[in-house]
This record gives sequence, structure tokens and C-alpha cells, in this order.
Amino acid sequence: MIRTRRGIHAAFLALGLAGTALLAAPAWAAGTLTISSPQDPGSWDPIDTFLVNWASVATNIYDGLTYRGADLKLVPGLATAWEELDEGKRIRFTLREGVKFHDGEPFNAEAVKFTFDRLLGEEGKKGPQRSNYAAIDKVEIIDAKTVDFHLKAPDPVLLTKLAGYGAMIVPPKYIQEKGDDYFNAHPVGTGPFKVVAYEPKIGIKLEAFADHWGGAPKLSNLEYRFIAEPATAVAELQAGRVDLVIPPTIPVGMIPTIQADPKLEVVSTAGPTVYALRFNTKSGPTADERVRKALILGVDRDAIIQTILGGQAAPIASFQGALSFGNDPDMKPLPYDPEKAKALLKEAGIAAGTTLQIDVRGNDSTFNEVSQAIASYLQVIGLNATIKPYETNVLLNDIIPAGKTGAMFEQAWGGWTLDYDNTAYSMYHSGEKWNPYDSDPKLDALLESQRSITDRAKREEILKSIAHYTADRALEIPLYNYNAIFGVSKRVKNFTPVPDSRLRLTDVTVE
Amino acid sequence: MAGFLIKRFLQAIFVVIVVTLIVAFAIRLTGDPALMLTQGAGSVTEADLVRIREALGLNQPFLVQYFGFIKGLFTLDFGRSFLGGTKVSTLLAAALPATLLLAFSSLIVSIAISIPLGIKAATSRGKWADQAIRILSLVGLSFPNFWLALMLVLLFAITLKWLPPSGMNGFESFIMPAVTMGIILTATNVRLVRTAMLETLNSQYIMVARAKGLSENVVLYKHALRNCAIPLITYFGLQFGGLLGGIVVVERVFNWPGLGTLAFDAVGARDYPVLQAVITVLSLMIIGVNLLVDIAYGLVDPRIRTE
Repeated sequence: MIRTRRGIHAAFLALGLAGTALLAAPAWAAGTLTISSPQDPGSWDPIDTFLVNWASVATNIYDGLTYRGADLKLVPGLATAWEELDEGKRIRFTLREGVKFHDGEPFNAEAVKFTFDRLLGEEGKKGPQRSNYAAIDKVEIIDAKTVDFHLKAPDPVLLTKLAGYGAMIVPPKYIQEKGDDYFNAHPVGTGPFKVVAYEPKIGIKLEAFADHWGGAPKLSNLEYRFIAEPATAVAELQAGRVDLVIPPTIPVGMIPTIQADPKLEVVSTAGPTVYALRFNTKSGPTADERVRKALILGVDRDAIIQTILGGQAAPIASFQGALSFGNDPDMKPLPYDPEKAKALLKEAGIAAGTTLQIDVRGNDSTFNEVSQAIASYLQVIGLNATIKPYETNVLLNDIIPAGKTGAMFEQAWGGWTLDYDNTAYSMYHSGEKWNPYDSDPKLDALLESQRSITDRAKREEILKSIAHYTADRALEIPLYNYNAIFGVSKRVKNFTPVPDSRLRLTDVTVE
Repeated sequence: MAGFLIKRFLQAIFVVIVVTLIVAFAIRLTGDPALMLTQGAGSVTEADLVRIREALGLNQPFLVQYFGFIKGLFTLDFGRSFLGGTKVSTLLAAALPATLLLAFSSLIVSIAISIPLGIKAATSRGKWADQAIRILSLVGLSFPNFWLALMLVLLFAITLKWLPPSGMNGFESFIMPAVTMGIILTATNVRLVRTAMLETLNSQYIMVARAKGLSENVVLYKHALRNCAIPLITYFGLQFGGLLGGIVVVERVFNWPGLGTLAFDAVGARDYPVLQAVITVLSLMIIGVNLLVDIAYGLVDPRIRTE
């Protein structure tokens, strides 16, 4: 009812404007954008979650000290400037003045200290976010608009991490008065939209926060609906009841359905998610580097991208996409060369017809097709591949970390920071959960060395050398960097897809 | 009679204990929720996992966790969801009515279709109408409900745009999910009505009614239907319990905010408190219905009372 009335008001306003004189369009266009998101994170507290679909909503509710938008450039957020001191062990932030939380509470140094004391203290201990900010020792208030972050060790990725998730600034007075439980369901931040209503498992409604320091957003309302089933989300889009379906929802197989509808379009951009088949490097045929190289050479990854993935992916040479910090654009994927692959297999003494097992996530329909294609490519070079589907959570939590996989296993990975450190350290450092098979002192040393360097250029060099090193050792078949796919109604204007799900909708308008 | 009641009641309690014990135990075999919660995090140390497990209460022995859960049942405090910490009772309070309403609507749809069709089949026994209805009900029975749901969405929501494709929002949103569930039930119900009706139509009082010169409709709906209503009502009542269990897929397709969706999400997230609460509530309802039926039979039939 309210929505209709607003719509009518806007229509009258527009008519009035058009009638009197052809003035410029009003800066604030009323309108509601309805968005389908695949998951309800259950709590909107920044320290409670790592889910990308928390971020896709919460990026509109909260601000961090730094901000990173669709172009992935780090710009000032609630801090207007920062300075690295004591060889990177102290960062001084100058805070933005005159900023208010949605409830009117002022933003200041106190709020920053409260946020990080909470994240690193008792409350944060219960949640999954704390480990990302472990480098922070304490936050010291210098004056109302200046804070010092004291670090245990320099963290080159920290400034990026301050733009998202656990580092979102929360209102101290509000949380102390209302309590954590209340805050989970009634979040308050300084962001461009404020929360009006949250219904668990159904949706969350936001309204423009006119006093936002960056100016009021162009839309008056955002309405998120939680729809897990891709077919249902697309049906809602086709029926015109949803304007935007955000990733990860739409599988490649549904793209033609959207494209066939004249009122809809598919918008995609390179995402953070990369896919690889990683190897058991400890035992079996894949313990031999020659065999691993042969397997990489034996799979035509470009053909898979074009035919199965409809071009919604890009080839990769190491386990990272083009957007990742540490990616070497000069590094080329190994070519498809079945003859050379056969020769390598022969050299390694692998008999024709040897069976290799590929472990995949059973509910990932797109990847199941990809793995079928891989199996037939391996057939060409004389290997029998059997595909073993697992329930996703079982594969991720019980099979891979325990080192119980077959010769190869699916790994999909993508850290929102888009920094190769996040991937490489977890995948290749000895003893890490995601690295059940390999232990390489030289690689460990390289991985550790870049963690304390704040000089970007120097660090990028080391990260690139890590990428080359892993490719030389053929630690995985780098398959592709998968796009973030959005289904968009054509009534949505000025929409820019984001690679990292942190979709801020301040500039979007609807017709 | 008192002895019978106590016996049945104790049996029901025993069933509840067994069901909750199996549920609480089995769900803990599915894996570690702490790993699940940190799945997307980069470097997670064992110390991080230990802390999270402690916060979730998973460091305690199984029996302590189980008795905590049972204790909670009496105060309607089912604990908190591992995913986001929402109170499970809040989630249940929203999901239970949604599921009950949908199950009830499906039953109504099914009854509204199966009674006239069943009667028609019974009165034209062996003729083409009977055959057609029987074949139709077989076709209905063989539809997978998710497929039927998707087809309905395609036709009524996308092509014709008459009905909303998903969600629970007003009367229109009930039509497609209730029809999907209803059609599947109808297949069995038509046969049931037909059989019950055939038996009744052979009775003498029907012959008398016809001999009195009453119109066929009065004979069928007033005399025959009323007399075969008792077994039908019992059966429909029991079906209600079965409906609750079978609703998961339909809820998922229609994004219905009910118990099925809640359970589905909870399995995926290893959300122990939510899953065990949903399953317990469902089994309590089914046990409750059975208990009521038992008691009702006992009241009516002295032989059951003294068994």
C-alpha cells in the first residue's frame, strides 16, 4: 500500500515537473528494487558470519574504515586518510567527521575502538570472523577523530580487510543498550540504507538513509527475498516480481532462459571463484609430477569453457583469476596437447587403462558436466576416470581435510579480498586444512615471507613467484575463473555487477 | 479405561524419547558445524575451531547435550540456531503455521476433487467414466511433485502471470502449492472414496432411499456419503501427518517459509538445534494424532480397551 502511494506520488511529481518545464530529473527517484538472494545468514551482526550473502546485503547497511567498490580500488570510507607507522606495525586513521549511525548515534573514535574490541574480545571469539583480523593487537584512541591500530605483525591485506565483513563499524551505545541478540535482527550501521524489517528465512527490507555521508542513495527502498532454488528465483524474475537475482544463484544452464526473455538480461563479471582439480601429491600415480603435468596437458580447458560454461569463465594459469593480487598476466596456461600428455604418461610408466578417481561436489550440476568432459578427455590419453560425487559439506569438511580423496578432487575457492595470499597460504602451506597431501619447505618459506611485507610491489613479486612455483610443480589442474552471474530486469538502470558479491546499490535506479 | 490411557500415554513418551535420541545422535554423525561455519575463512587454526565448538556447546558429552535439549522441550526453549544465533523457537513459531496452513489447504483441495470424482467412479462402476477416473488418478499418482510444481509455475506464473511463482503472501500464493500437494493425494483418495462408496451403495438403506423416490443426488450425498464418512475422515486425518513429512520438496520449489524449508536449510548448514527441533515437532504431532486416534477407538470399541 505504502509502495503504491509512493509510486503515485512519484508519478505526480514527475508529471508536475514535466508539465511546468523540462527540468533535470530529480536526484532522488523513488523506487523499490526487489532482489533475490540465495541465503539468509540468520544474523546481521558483522562478527557472526563469513557468508557472501551476508555481505551482499550488509554492504548497504554498514561502512568500514576503508571502502572498496565494483572497481576493486581501495578508497576512504569512514576514515578519510591513513598512514603506516613503525614499519607497518601501527596504522593511524583519521576519521570522517559528522557521520551518524541510522539511530542518530554519532560515529567517532569510540565506535571504532568498540567495534574492534568486540571483534577481538569475548563476543568475537564465538564467531568465525576473528581469525581474519588476528594481526590487530589493539586499537588506541588518540582523539575523537584519530585512532591508532597497533599490530602484532604487519598485515599487508589488512586495509582491504577493513573494507568488509568483521571490520564493519557498529554503534556502541545501541549494542550496549539493546544487547547482541537484538542487534542480530535489528542491525544499525552508518551505511546508505537502513533496515526497516527483517523476517528470518523470508526477507529483509531496507530504506534509503538520507543522511548518509556519501549522499542519499537514488533508490528509496531495497527489498531482499531469500530464494534458494534457482528455478524459483528465475521464475520470480520472469514474472516481474524480482528485479535482480544475485550470485551464487543462476547456473549456466539457466542463462538461455533469461536471455530468451525480452524484459530480462544476464549481466556477468569476472568473480573471485576459481575452479581446479587438485591432486593427491602424496600417493598413487599423481604423486609423480610427470603424471600431473600429463593430466593438465590432457584436458582441453578452453573447450570446456566455451561449450559447457557458455563462455561464462576465463582460463587460468594458476589457482587465481585475473583480478587477484599476485596474478601474473604473462603466465600462460599449459596448452592442450594430448600427444605430449601420452608421452609423459609413458615416461612415468603409467599403463593404459589406469583408473583415477575424481571427487566432486554432487549438487554442483555445472561442475558435474565439467567433470564428465574431463573424464572423456582423460579417456583420450588412455586413462579411466571415475567420478565420485559427495555431498558438498562432506567433501569439504570430512574428505579433503582428512586426505581421503581420490587422485583428484574438485576445489572451488575465492576469497573476497582477491589477494592470492588467502588462496595460496590455505592451499599450499604445510599443515593447512586444505592441504592434506603436500609439504614443501621451500613453498612454506615463500608463503611466510610475503606475509610481513607491506611493500606492495615486492609482495606482488613473491606472490607471482609462488604462482609460478606451484605451476612448475603441477600441484593442480587450473581449470577456470568462473563469472559472477546476475539476472537483471531491464527496468533496472545504472547497474554495475560486482566481482565480490559486496553489492552496494546506491547508484541504481528503477523505471 | 484409566489403565488403557496410561499405557498408551507411556508408549507415546517412550516413542518420543527414542525418536529424539536417534535424531540427536544421527545428526551429530553428519559432521562438525565449526568446520561448516569457517568453511569460507582463509586460515583457520584448530584453536579457532575449538573456541567455536565451545561457544556452540559442542564440547560437552553427547548425553549432556541431549538432556539439555530434552529439558528445553519442556520450556519450549530449543536453543539457538548455529547459523546466526536466532532462537529456534522464533524460527519454529514462524514456520509451523506456514506448514500447517499449506498442509490443511492441500487436504481441502484433495477432498474437494476426490469426493465428487470418487462418487462418480463408484456410480458408473465399470463404465467408461470409472475407467477414465481411474486412469487419471494413476497419472496423478505418477507425477513427481517437483515436476508438477515447475509446470504449474511455468503456466500460471510465467506465461499467464495469474499467480505469484513463490512465497507465502495472500490467498493467491496458496493455490499452486496446495494444488500440487493436493493432486498427489487425490490419486489415492479417489480410489478410497470409490471403494467406500461402493460398499455403502450396496446397503439396504440406500435401496430404501431409492425406493422412496429420492433424487439421485440426495441419495448419494446425503445418505451414502454421510455413512461412509467415518473411515474417510480417519484416513484423511492420518494423511495430514504424512503430508507434513512430504511437504519438503514442494516447500522448496515454492520457497514456502515452512518447516520443510527450515529443515532443508538446517541439514545443509549442520544446524543441529534447528534440525532436531523441526524433526521433534513433526514427530510429536504425528505421535499426538496417533494417540488421539488410539484413544478415540478405545472409547468406541471396548475390545481395544482391554487388549
